[in-house]
Amino acid sequence: MAARVEAIVAKFDGDKGQLVSILQDIQEEHRYLPREALEKASQLLNIPLSQIYSVATFFRAFSLEPRGRHLIKVCLGTACHVRGANRILERAALDLGIEAGQTTSDMAFTLETVNCVGCCALGPVVVVDDTTLGQMTTDKVVPMLERYRQ
Amino acid sequence: METITITLNGREVSGHPGMTVLELASESGVRIPTLCNDPHLAPFGACRICLVEDERSGALMASCVTPIAPGMVVNTESPRVLERRRAIVKLMLASHPDSCLVCDKGNRCELRRIAADASVGLVDLQRISQPALIKEVNPFLERDLSKCILCAKCIRADHELVVEGVIDYIERGFASKPATLNDTSLEESDCTFCGTCVAFCPTGALMEKDSPYRGTTTTAVATVCPSCGCGCGISLEVKDNKIVRCRPDMDSPVNGGTLCVRGSYGYDFVHSEDRLTQPLIKANGSLRETSWEEALDFAAAGLKRVAEAHGPGSLAVVGSPKCTNEENYLLQRLARCALGTNNIDNGSRLYSAASCQGLGWNLGSPGTTNTLENLEQSDVILVVGTDPASSAPLVGYAIKRAVRQRGARLIMADPRRTKLSTFAFLCLRPRVGTDVALLNGLARSIVEENLLDEEFVTRRTDNFEAFRRGLDQYIPAWVEQATGVPERELSSAARMFATAKRASIVFGRGLTQQSTGTDAVMALANLAMLTGNIGHGSGGVYALQDDCNGQGACDMGVVPAFLPGYQSVDDPQAVKRFAARWGPFSPSGPGLTAVEMIQQANAGKIKAMYIVGENPAATFPHLGLVRESLRSLDFLVVQDLFLTETARLATVVLPAASFAEKEGTFTSFEGRVQALRKAIDPLGSSLPDWQIVLHLAKRLGHPMPYTSLEAIMDEIEELVPFYHGAGYAGAAGKGFDRSELEASPHGAKRLHKGQFPTGFGRFSSVHYVPAKGTAGDGYPFSLITGTSLYRFGGGSRSSRATRLIRFLPEAAIEIGRGDASRLGIASGDRVRIISPTAEISAPVRITDTLSDAMLYMPSAFPQSPVNALFGVDLDPQSKTPAMEACRVRLERID
Repeated sequence: MAARVEAIVAKFDGDKGQLVSILQDIQEEHRYLPREALEKASQLLNIPLSQIYSVATFFRAFSLEPRGRHLIKVCLGTACHVRGANRILERAALDLGIEAGQTTSDMAFTLETVNCVGCCALGPVVVVDDTTLGQMTTDKVVPMLERYRQ
Repeated sequence: METITITLNGREVSGHPGMTVLELASESGVRIPTLCNDPHLAPFGACRICLVEDERSGALMASCVTPIAPGMVVNTESPRVLERRRAIVKLMLASHPDSCLVCDKGNRCELRRIAADASVGLVDLQRISQPALIKEVNPFLERDLSKCILCAKCIRADHELVVEGVIDYIERGFASKPATLNDTSLEESDCTFCGTCVAFCPTGALMEKDSPYRGTTTTAVATVCPSCGCGCGISLEVKDNKIVRCRPDMDSPVNGGTLCVRGSYGYDFVHSEDRLTQPLIKANGSLRETSWEEALDFAAAGLKRVAEAHGPGSLAVVGSPKCTNEENYLLQRLARCALGTNNIDNGSRLYSAASCQGLGWNLGSPGTTNTLENLEQSDVILVVGTDPASSAPLVGYAIKRAVRQRGARLIMADPRRTKLSTFAFLCLRPRVGTDVALLNGLARSIVEENLLDEEFVTRRTDNFEAFRRGLDQYIPAWVEQATGVPERELSSAARMFATAKRASIVFGRGLTQQSTGTDAVMALANLAMLTGNIGHGSGGVYALQDDCNGQGACDMGVVPAFLPGYQSVDDPQAVKRFAARWGPFSPSGPGLTAVEMIQQANAGKIKAMYIVGENPAATFPHLGLVRESLRSLDFLVVQDLFLTETARLATVVLPAASFAEKEGTFTSFEGRVQALRKAIDPLGSSLPDWQIVLHLAKRLGHPMPYTSLEAIMDEIEELVPFYHGAGYAGAAGKGFDRSELEASPHGAKRLHKGQFPTGFGRFSSVHYVPAKGTAGDGYPFSLITGTSLYRFGGGSRSSRATRLIRFLPEAAIEIGRGDASRLGIASGDRVRIISPTAEISAPVRITDTLSDAMLYMPSAFPQSPVNALFGVDLDPQSKTPAMEACRVRLERID
């Protein structure tokens, strides 16, 4: 892990100002920010770990906990909300047996909520990994999960 | 210089480029309220309270982050500014509890003051719920983040000043707050409890825990911290003759708003129940209280009787690096004139005599050669044999700032890995006691690669040729074998050190408390001269001091071979100069050093001693011998704050007043002479040491004509050349003029412009001698000692500082993981530590910072005195006892 962090930091010339990009790259590899990687980054960039923690907790995109292989983000923005996004979320939670913010025990899925993904016309919207699924309905939820489960 | 003129509230004022509107306003006497700005911290612009209006554009700007620009027209109190400021204060109060009545911050709260100024009372906005009080178990500080206004002063103090990086903002929006990594308690973090964040917090969010008084005191006295040799300014808040709070003195030019845990929370030894309040004399084997008259008469008569019976050479005096310059000056005069002996020394013999001797010989100046500010400006810093983060935290802060903020490179040479190692560019881990080989190896590499500063060496130093020839044996491969430092690292370190524009060396007890300590200091001074790092505009050599006045006690002649100002007792001219002021005095030739006194007492040659503020029976090596020797004395006078291990053996005990109860001056390790100010009256009938010495001198038939401390300092200034201008500027009645006093650290004066006081710096050839005692003789471990952050001095004061003891009740012995598992020892087990001299016991702590066969234990814990393990092995030159490393074995106590 240390060697990979070194490579990522080197890619940004060890520039402290690029911390967010560096964290994004680390998260890309591990799907979350492992403590060990952050310690290495803190050492290489010569900034305190608490400061990295500060940045990591500020942005919702970062996670300090291991995340599932698939990240399901249910949008609860205004447009999605009025079109019943809450029911989509409840349906997904029921099927996965977890609450928003949690990860299934088989590490297959992490369920999160977001406040707007910027395509309100498609609402209610669910983003799975990098795929945006529009005009979701409760009965589309389980087949969607099945597709990703394989 | 270029100036910029702006119009401020209708008046034209000028400042220099780069100044902020807030800075210029405060310089021009216009007060702009602010919560997040502080001159010690970089501008941040968090609170927006300081907003002002640019009258031309109508923009509202935070004045703390707005640089002045030509032609600006600024109004600090326009109706829009006032209205907006009120709105901001209201929003802050909406998320702030209305608990002012019971808040410890009381009317020191800056938020409350600003709200009052803006005429804001209770607010009718919807309240925002706030985090609950954090349950901290540490005895030092308390966090109530419901009172946090997110000014980030604590975070900035942490990152910019003390450079720990323990706290930062976490989360965002309403949830954001300053917190530790993973939002744990402070005890679980790397927090060192320095208290700097508490001092900066404008509200009651960060407060001292368990304050004996929760209100605001009317008196705060700025004085000097007694916990180490850094000389930090502290502000003691006093209520009814009791110190209730200690904060950094924000105006001190030394510490720039910072302190350490000892400075912030170690002061309460002053009010310990153990304080002596009455003189004691021994009758029928036990000590009983008596009057000053009787005690002084008895003490004087006892000393006189011994002098008459056995001659003045049978007397010895120990002065104290914890007493003021004036007190030490009087004490050595008493020893030399009233008792007639040069047998006078002070406790800094135990750790800094080698630096005095080594630096004195090579550089002609027995102490640190440059200022702390200069250290921070260095490009390369070599730290040898000390962990400044524990022994001299202020120096630790400066080094960390240099590394993190200025990109300086730190080279650590220490057998142990310390917290500061994480800041190091290069960590050399020489085996214990091989520093001379390492330093000579560095010097040889520098000479071989022709990286020396030839101009400096030729023009300012002598004896270079002999020195260079002496380096021949220190080829890298040989050095690697001797020290264990790989060749490659050695030459990298040499190259880095030699090519830096300013390279500094910081060293401490780890180097000086060895039987070859003086040699090591000389090797280090050679290195500095070789690279031209002495004097103005270059690096320097920094000798750390453990005690608040170790430097001063030596400067004042509380040493056996020197009169005040290092004027030799063998120099007839010097003796004549002093005799002109003191009257004739008899002793000639250097007297005994501290440990020699004990040896001679044991041999029956020293019959009486007068020990001031020192506790040999707990802090010297080989305690068995020390106690036996002190017991065998015919007469022993001890003057101290407490009934110490030494005082218990005394015939007469004289109760002295603490640093907070007296005036005088301390000389810091940088050579800064600073005034102590009296915060409280002496406790009970204790008296300041200088008054006791005067009383005693009179009874010994040598009355000294000083009517005040000023008179004593005037004489010191006259007779000690490098204290010229250090004295109390301003006549009686005006008190001390601190600014005058502090403008002239004499260390800087001694060597400024690189001119050595003796004309030339002198290279000395010193050689590595392998340490005595090897593994395999039944003592397989090498135990090294050091300073704990939570104790200071010899431990008699700090082991009575209640918060420090609660946090760290006893010393643990540290052992590497591998060794521990081989011995089947777990963390927390108790072990007997056995050396050829003595045995002590302590709990074990397992660590990753030690290599195999190494142990570490901090000194200054009187319950488990690690110094007791050492035999008496004196450095032949400085007579410092070796107390850095000894061979021991461990036995588990089941």
